[in-house]
Amino acid sequence: MLIYILRRVIVMIPVTILISVIGFIIIQAPPGDFVSSYIAGLEAQGDIIEPELIDSLRARYGLGEPVYVQYWRWVSNFVEGDLGYSMIYREPVVDIIAQRLPSSFTISLLSLILVFVIGIPIGILSATKQYSLADYTFTVIGFLGVATPNFLLALVGLWLLFSWTGTVSIGLYSPEMQNAPFGLAKFLDLLSHIWLPALIVGTAGTAELIRTMRANLLDELPKQYVTVARARGVKPTKLLYKYPLRIAINPVISTVGWLLPVLVEGEVLVSLVLGLPTIAPVLLDSLLQQDMFLATSIIMILGILTLVGTLLSDILLAIVDPRIRGAV
Amino acid sequence: MTAQQAGEREATSVPGRNAGVDSLLSVRNLQTHFFSREGVVKAVDGVSFDIKPGEILGIAGESGCGKSVTSQSILRILPRNGKIVGGEILFNNGDRTVDLATEEADGRVLRDIRGKEIAMIFQEPMTSFSPVHTIGDQIIETIRIHQDVSKEEAREQAVEMLRRVGMPNPARNIEEYTFNLSGGMRQRAMVALSLSCRPKLLIADEPTTAVDVTIQAQMLELLRDIQADLGMAIIMITHDLGVIAELTDRVMIMYLGKEVEHGTVEDVFHRPQHPYTRGLLASIPKMEPGRVEIEPIEGVVPNPYAMPTGCKFHTRCPEYIAGVCEKRDPPLTAVRPGHEVSCYLYGGREELE
Repeated sequence: MLIYILRRVIVMIPVTILISVIGFIIIQAPPGDFVSSYIAGLEAQGDIIEPELIDSLRARYGLGEPVYVQYWRWVSNFVEGDLGYSMIYREPVVDIIAQRLPSSFTISLLSLILVFVIGIPIGILSATKQYSLADYTFTVIGFLGVATPNFLLALVGLWLLFSWTGTVSIGLYSPEMQNAPFGLAKFLDLLSHIWLPALIVGTAGTAELIRTMRANLLDELPKQYVTVARARGVKPTKLLYKYPLRIAINPVISTVGWLLPVLVEGEVLVSLVLGLPTIAPVLLDSLLQQDMFLATSIIMILGILTLVGTLLSDILLAIVDPRIRGAV
Repeated sequence: MTAQQAGEREATSVPGRNAGVDSLLSVRNLQTHFFSREGVVKAVDGVSFDIKPGEILGIAGESGCGKSVTSQSILRILPRNGKIVGGEILFNNGDRTVDLATEEADGRVLRDIRGKEIAMIFQEPMTSFSPVHTIGDQIIETIRIHQDVSKEEAREQAVEMLRRVGMPNPARNIEEYTFNLSGGMRQRAMVALSLSCRPKLLIADEPTTAVDVTIQAQMLELLRDIQADLGMAIIMITHDLGVIAELTDRVMIMYLGKEVEHGTVEDVFHRPQHPYTRGLLASIPKMEPGRVEIEPIEGVVPNPYAMPTGCKFHTRCPEYIAGVCEKRDPPLTAVRPGHEVSCYLYGGREELE
């Protein structure tokens, strides 16, 4: 088992390097750079730009040099924890990420929990009571959940909130809690605000999980080991949880890893609509304005998160499924 | 029970037939039907048989004749769309007789009998065990459902049972998963699982179908040894008449949910009466020198949604009597004590007039 984990970690190293190269190249790929879009912005306002200013800006950000030099400089700084300087926010990238990432993470984590807490039981119900009224109802809701764009749900949520409470600001904290030290009270306050975005971000995932769980369990239920367990006198509920469910849940476990980045992605529009201070809108801004240090850093962090998530899934899967342990 | 059913039973109870007093299990006019959108399939349509303690009964027939459904009906582990619509399954459970046909399918009574009094072996040993649990886990679980013993005691019993079925290294095998075991070992583990509570009746549903002949021979030998050792009754369900001849005392031949012939192995194999039984026996490849041809039964098995009227075999029968066989089900007629046939060639035509 330890060797298995070790091997998985070692494999992650080249993948991480690959992600950094690809991420960097993609950010660099569009014509122009931050300076040109910055200048275009100034020119649009009617300012006249001195060529010397352009050159000095380029030199300051090291934009004149060949790509591989730029890459190397960025990577070596990244490893040391210096993520560069954001040109649009005029702040070190580390600070921006440190401010934004925790709230993103909280929303994603809560979404994930909601996805599982809602999706798994409904999936089980749908499978064990196949073609019942409940199954059909959840199937319809499930398809609606998959098909409805998140931003639309966010708008509807916003409107509902407004018609009930008369406020449009969601935020993550109540105004009076904004600067309070973190404690139980502040945490509860956070929960009271965060459930709506978490629910919206998690809708599609929940709907998908219901379908996956239902299909997996329906595959397992007619299998012979289930009949055998029944013929041995195992109680129906215990039978369901111990045998088919245990196996049906494996594919779900293996998807936990890449659910995280998907949730961050889903957050972009929701955060924009609800005006939440998460990482997602920053990523969008930085991409639009070619703020390369900020964009590359966020992409890099999301990439690493995916890798870690996948590693966690694989370890979990090896723990629950002896066939995988055996194959290691 | 309706008056009509009572009348039928009157007609079918003939001298020599076990009345069910000293029987371990007594199946009476069992009817199990499957309901689907396409219609109703009468998978088992009026089957009766008895089995005494320690006896080995064979149930034989082609695929789809209802032999597996009969066994699933006994333990009430039918698929969701299968229902017992009539008949009785009387199980003599020591001090009292229970009708398994009318008990709640996953209720207390059935759960207490499953695995403890009546156990079952299935076709595929690989898939009889959960792939993510050790074989020991499942054997110990069964023991602890039915006996009030500690984990350690249950474990000892499990190891002992694995030894009894001939596992090479029981103490280690108990920790293994099915995917680590060879085909023969899986068979043995499966037998150990079903016998872990020393049932009075073992139902073996095609246990030798999915394995090669070597393991098949081992399996039969194992079942015979264990039966001699523990003395349980066995219902052997198979389409393989060789297995029946090898192992069982009595045999029931089924065709399309009906019993066509019933008797000792000796009687049925040497003096087959029903044209279907004769056809089945003729379709076994013979090893005699100079004769290699086999004689398959003519025609095809009818569509289960559109069963023939009267005797279900009349569409393929070489001795079909026009104007008789398609009228009504032939009653069981005793040709010798304990040897009964459901065919108009041997009687029952008077009742038609």
